Amino acid sequence: MDTFVQLVINGLMLGGLFAIISVGLTLIFGIIRLVNFAHGELLMVGMYLTWLGTTQLGLHPYVLAPPVVLALFVVGLLIQRFILQPLLDARDAHVQIFATVGLSTALINLALLVFGADLYATPSSGVRDSIALGPYRILVGQLVMFVCGIAVVAALHLFMERSYLGRAIRATAQHRAAAQLMGVDVKRIYMVTFGIGAACVGLAAVLVAPIYPASPTVGTYFVLTAFVVVVLGGMGSLHGAFIGALIIGLVDSLSGFYIAPDLKEVVIFGLFITILLLRPTGLFGLGRGSE
Amino acid sequence: MTKVRWTRRLMLGLLLGAGVAAAQPARAEVRFGALYPFSGELAVLGDESWRGLELAVEEINAAGGVRGEKVALMRGDAVDNNQAVAEARRLISVGGVKAIFGTYSSARAQVASQVAELARIPYFEMGAVSDAITERKFRYLFRTNPTARNMAERSIDMVVNAVAKGLSVEPGSLNVAIIHEDSLYGTTVGRYQSSLAKERGLKIVETMPYPANVVDMSSLILRLQAAKADVVLQTSYQNDTVLFFRQAREAGFKPRAIIGGGGGYSLRETMQAVGQDVMEGVLNVDFTQIATNPKAAPGIDKFVEAYRAKYNMEPRSGHSLGNYVGAKVFLQAINTAKSFSADDIRAAVAAVDIPDGGTAEGWGVKFGADGQNERAKMMGLQWQDGKLVTVFPPEAAISEIRLPR
Repeated sequence: MDTFVQLVINGLMLGGLFAIISVGLTLIFGIIRLVNFAHGELLMVGMYLTWLGTTQLGLHPYVLAPPVVLALFVVGLLIQRFILQPLLDARDAHVQIFATVGLSTALINLALLVFGADLYATPSSGVRDSIALGPYRILVGQLVMFVCGIAVVAALHLFMERSYLGRAIRATAQHRAAAQLMGVDVKRIYMVTFGIGAACVGLAAVLVAPIYPASPTVGTYFVLTAFVVVVLGGMGSLHGAFIGALIIGLVDSLSGFYIAPDLKEVVIFGLFITILLLRPTGLFGLGRGSE
Repeated sequence: MTKVRWTRRLMLGLLLGAGVAAAQPARAEVRFGALYPFSGELAVLGDESWRGLELAVEEINAAGGVRGEKVALMRGDAVDNNQAVAEARRLISVGGVKAIFGTYSSARAQVASQVAELARIPYFEMGAVSDAITERKFRYLFRTNPTARNMAERSIDMVVNAVAKGLSVEPGSLNVAIIHEDSLYGTTVGRYQSSLAKERGLKIVETMPYPANVVDMSSLILRLQAAKADVVLQTSYQNDTVLFFRQAREAGFKPRAIIGGGGGYSLRETMQAVGQDVMEGVLNVDFTQIATNPKAAPGIDKFVEAYRAKYNMEPRSGHSLGNYVGAKVFLQAINTAKSFSADDIRAAVAAVDIPDGGTAEGWGVKFGADGQNERAKMMGLQWQDGKLVTVFPPEAAISEIRLPR
């Protein structure tokens, strides 16, 4: 019983990690209708920034959240403006996807060039200490991640529902041409949205860096799971991504223990396919006609 | 490269006058191929391996070369498997090399040696660990370095003769768990460990493969805790090694001994990422390292001196040493061959017989029918005070093994 509870705790915490990484991905997908294959590499960039900030300036990783989030916001803005926007009117929309694949490869190799293949561990500064709850243990960093995951989803939800910009973003997602006719600057909306998506990854990077060391390929470890989470939750659904992440985290943790560590991916993807067969739009997907 | 240098010297000689040119008698030159990953992701250790070969050739040339001829090396860049094949072909057909030395990477050795075998050119492997390379029983393929099987042997040997003995318990009473990443490397070592452990009467409580790009090992660690593992054997890369140590500490899991296998366990960056205090006392099995007792590895100090003199730094890993020792064994054997023909070289190499403790690697050399050095062994190492030192076998140790009381 003790082990089971600990496994559930571990699973939920792991879900929090997947959630915070997936939020930006689902946002970009939902609004811009773009599968961003460079998502993991944005995480990687953020983790290196966090490493630099903690080791060169001696700051606590969490203190670096505002600058890293801002930096990633700008990076996202620039990617949309200079790489994706010129391709917006390409004959085939998939060209943009290939551009993100290219960007991903370029960023990995850039990191190899600058930092080499070695691991860079951000100092933990107490983030990796565990809190004991009776016989159970929770990592401080994971708990923070979990709470931040909920906060980000709630904040984005409010922003989308209440603010003028949020409404414009949703309008653009619903019908690009109609929004444009109503006076929405679609290109600017896309830039801001990609920027917000990247900024979410920036926050994830700050929280993940003290727990996992940065390396050029660190993004690839997380991004596949993030895609699963996004599709499972219903592409574009923020709270769907959060619930999807928790499910994947729990399945990962429980199947790793009760079945086998090398088979947990089989279980995760088996479940993934089953859910898609039963609900092709994902758990909270809007279904056909959302655009 | 060498050719250019000769031409330059010749021109210089002509400029200075015929007399000077004549004072440098042109010694005949025999060419060998050096096939390593010089660029790409394996470049660092590929280059480190090459340095060993280069030092060995310089030493041999200074002593008169092989069969009276100066050894010249022609480099081939095995940046990936296709390139390894192409470069092996180029070395043989364009370069006219008499043999190829290499390769560090197992996958590249596997394919490049195939080209050499078909062309009837001897292939000398000094770094690739996959057992499959010599299991093909090629006629002209020889390997000096130990393999994945030797790694498994040494780790099981350490459980019995170092850990159990040091803790004064029966080996059979220890709960042994085997975990490994699930690519070819980890799976090969893990499988040998399981079968050897059974032969030695050890009790295996868990055998768990996991993917190397794992992001969470907490369930695996809970299983190890539930199985009350005393000794954990892990064969891994770097990311999974770091993750295992961090999450084991966070879960409060502290087995009596952890024995790693090469890869991530030998790297300084791993120790720094995990923390010196967490890595303290962790055991590891790998190639002979630079910090080995010279009494058991005669010539190791001379090698380190030569390395420092030439490259102006400390050896970056044990790979240079392994290639240096292997290359010397092969070149000295070729020196005794009747000619540079493949069959004469093969006969001379097959006759090599160096007793255990006869090389700077600590082991001896005697090739089996498959071309594998039957005397090759891995060393037992331990992280002590932030340094990786040789602790096993006792004669090669430079420090006493430390075990928890």
